[in-house]
Amino acid sequence: MDAIRTPSREAPCLGVGVGLRSVHYRNFLEGRPGTGWLEVHSENYFGDGGYDLYVLKRLRADYPVSLHGVGLALGSVEGDSAGHVARLRRLAEEIEPAFVSEHLCWGRALGQHFNDLLPLPYTAAALSLMAARVQELQDSLRRRVLVENVSTYLEFRACDMSEGDFLGELARRSGCGVLLDVNNLYVNQENHGSDARAAMDAIPAAAVAEIHLAGHFVGERCLIDTHGERIAEPVWSLYGAALERFGPVPTLIEWDTDIPALSVLLAEARRAEAAMKEGTHV
Amino acid sequence: MSELGRMQKSFAAALADASQALHAAGLFRGAPEDAIGRLAVYRGNVLANSHKALANAYPIAVKIVGEEFFAGLAREYLRRHPSTSGDLNAFGERFADFVAAFPHTQDLPYLPDVARTEWLVHRAHYAKDAERLDVRRLASIRNSAWDKLRSVLAPACALFESCWPLARIWEVHQDGYCGEFSVDFESGPGRILVYRPDLRVQVAPLSVGAYRFLQRVAAGDSIAAALVAALGDEPGFDLPAALRAWVEAAIVVDFELG
Repeated sequence: MDAIRTPSREAPCLGVGVGLRSVHYRNFLEGRPGTGWLEVHSENYFGDGGYDLYVLKRLRADYPVSLHGVGLALGSVEGDSAGHVARLRRLAEEIEPAFVSEHLCWGRALGQHFNDLLPLPYTAAALSLMAARVQELQDSLRRRVLVENVSTYLEFRACDMSEGDFLGELARRSGCGVLLDVNNLYVNQENHGSDARAAMDAIPAAAVAEIHLAGHFVGERCLIDTHGERIAEPVWSLYGAALERFGPVPTLIEWDTDIPALSVLLAEARRAEAAMKEGTHV
Repeated sequence: MSELGRMQKSFAAALADASQALHAAGLFRGAPEDAIGRLAVYRGNVLANSHKALANAYPIAVKIVGEEFFAGLAREYLRRHPSTSGDLNAFGERFADFVAAFPHTQDLPYLPDVARTEWLVHRAHYAKDAERLDVRRLASIRNSAWDKLRSVLAPACALFESCWPLARIWEVHQDGYCGEFSVDFESGPGRILVYRPDLRVQVAPLSVGAYRFLQRVAAGDSIAAALVAALGDEPGFDLPAALRAWVEAAIVVDFELG
C-alpha cells in the first residue's frame, strides 16, 4: 500500500466549517461566505457530471472540502460495495479532499440497503469486520479514512465492550482516524445511560481528526439524531470537554432537515470558533 | 452464517416488516416493548430517508397526487421495491411501473408516463458533461464521407414518446411557471426530448420528424439515413433549422464518421 496520508498533519488549521447542502449553493456561489471549510455527503456527487459536481468543483477552488459518506455501511456482513468505493475513489481523485469519512455502522442485509446508520454490537467479531473493511477502504483510496461514531436508539445485549473502547481499538487496529460526533455521544448517553466523557477518554487523543456538531430531536422514547435544530447546550459543554482533550480539531456544523438560512449555520460556526479559541470553555 | 450476520438479518427483518419486531427485540437491552418501540424509530427513519429521495426524483408526481398521498405511495413502493444501493439517488427507478400497476392511481392514467419523464430528468441531472461542438471539425471531412456522417448527442439527452402531452405537463408544474395552468389531454401523442443546456435539465416537445431523426441518430444511424426516416414521417421536416437549434442548445455536441 502507498503511504497513508495523515489529514490532521496536512490540514492542521481548518478551524470550523459547515455542511454544504444544495439549498445554500447560491449563497456560496454568489458570496463565498467566510467559513473554514465545507463538507458534503459524498454520494450526492457520484454522478458523471452535472450541476452538483459543477458547484462542488467551483467551491473547491476557494474552500477545503471534506467528503463524508453515508452509504458504505461498512459493518454489514452481507453485500459488496466495490462499485460504491470506485465512485468514491473517482470523486476523491477529482476533489482532493482534506478528509474522507464514513460511519461506524451497518446497513445492508436480506439483499436490501436500508440507507440508515444502523448500530453494531460492540463485540470482537464486529471489530474484526470493521477493521478489515476500513483497511480495505484505505487501501483502495490510498489514504487514511475517518470513522464517525453514530447515534443509536438500541443497544445489543451481545456488546462486551463500550462504544469508546470499540472506536479506540478500531483506530489502533486499522490506523483510521476518528470523526468524533459530540452530539451523537450525548444522544447515546441520554438513550443508554453511557458516559460520554468516559467514551472520549477511551479514544486515543491523536486519532481524533475531526469533530461534528449538530442538533437532535427529543422524541417520545429517546433522543433522535435529526440534524434539524440548533446544537443543544449540553452538547456545547461536551464540545468544550472535547477541545480540552483533543485540541483545536477541525469542527463541522451539520444541518440536514428543516435546513435554515445559511446565516443560522454560520452563527453556530462562530460560537464553535469562539470555543476553539478559548480552548477549554464554551 | 456468523452470529453477527444472524443479528443483522433479524434486525433487518424487523425493519422491513413490523410483525418481525418482537422476534428481534430479544437482541437488545431493556424491556421488549421498549425495544419494539425503538425498532419502530429506525423503521421510521428508513421510510423517511427513502420517501425524501423519491420525492426529490419525482417532484411533479408529488404535485399531482399531493404530499399526503405521495407519502403513502412511497411507503408502498419501498415495501415492494426496497433500495439496493447505498446511493439513495439511485432509488426509485421502478416507480413508473409501480404506479402503472397500483390500483389507487388508475384515475390518473398519465401518471406513469409523467414518472418515466421525471426519471429521465433525474438521470439527466447527473449525466456526464459534454463539450460544445467545435464546428471546425467539420472542415476536415472529405467530400466522399459526408453521407456517412453521424451526429453525436450529449450524454444528458433522452427521448420519450407517449400518448400524453408530457412537455406541457412538465412546463406547467415548473417552479416559477406563471402562465395558465391548463393541459389539453386530447392534444395527441407527446414526443419529448430531455436535455441539459447550461447544467439545468429541460424537457422540450418534438415534432414527429424531429423525434424520428434524433431517435435514429441516438441508435447510431448516419445523418443521411436518419433524414430519410424523418422525412418519411414528416415531409416538411427542416433539418438545417433543427440542427442549428440543437447545436446551440448543446443537444448535438459532435459529428463523427461511422
